[in-house]
Amino acid sequence: MATTVITGRDLSFTIATTSYNEQATAATLSADVTIETYDTLAGKAYKSVDKQWTFDVEMLADWGASGSLCEALWTAAETAPNSTLAVSLTAVTGAVFAFNVLPIFPSVGGTSPDAQTVSMSFTVVGTPSETFS
Amino acid sequence: MTASSILTSVRNPLKTAIAGVAANVYDSVPEAPIVPFAAIVPNAPYLQPSLLGKDKVKLKVNLVMTIGVAIYDNQSALDNIEQLAISILAAIPSGYEVGDVSNPINVTVGASEILACEIQLATYYTQTN
Repeated sequence: MATTVITGRDLSFTIATTSYNEQATAATLSADVTIETYDTLAGKAYKSVDKQWTFDVEMLADWGASGSLCEALWTAAETAPNSTLAVSLTAVTGAVFAFNVLPIFPSVGGTSPDAQTVSMSFTVVGTPSETFS
Repeated sequence: MTASSILTSVRNPLKTAIAGVAANVYDSVPEAPIVPFAAIVPNAPYLQPSLLGKDKVKLKVNLVMTIGVAIYDNQSALDNIEQLAISILAAIPSGYEVGDVSNPINVTVGASEILACEIQLATYYTQTN
């Protein structure tokens, strides 16, 4: 097949139906897969026994702005920490991943004189469902 | 709705914010600046796409503010450019990253020699319409 390149410009995502494209600089969905190794008489055997998905986001802080995403996440983490938020992550047109995350508090602050940024690592509840077309 | 531009959304507001300093302020490269002056010009790299998505053009805009004063004698020129730099740093509005100030150097503009230095600035811009 021909070489295909997709970039961060193809990426977009929403949390609780709100787009974060205006503020986000990076978004990564990844899985930590636990694979057990067994030494058998016939040699090593491997079995995937568990997986935990994580959704990492980096964004420019927008505290104080109208419709602040940081404030929305803070409020969600404060008022409903055990209620999941629906996330839709589009890697590129035709590859959409849907999953749920638990709200977490965004970090506050930064380094002078740079723009304040927020790094968040959401725990994904369950397994993402994918739509490939 | 009028389309936004870097001129009206980034450089003009910056020019307006520092209009109160004791200098002539330019939001582009002046052909013949009148000292003391502050000129807002592009830095390198100038425009950096850094945000996700392509539904809108979103950029980090890197600028450099060149400031210049007359050289009558070294001591007063250095003092003048230090005071001008401090007053500009105090007037730069929120939303702009303020970086380093370069060392002052002698620059020949037209027939006159001035003392000039540069203030690194950056902000973010989203194109609307």
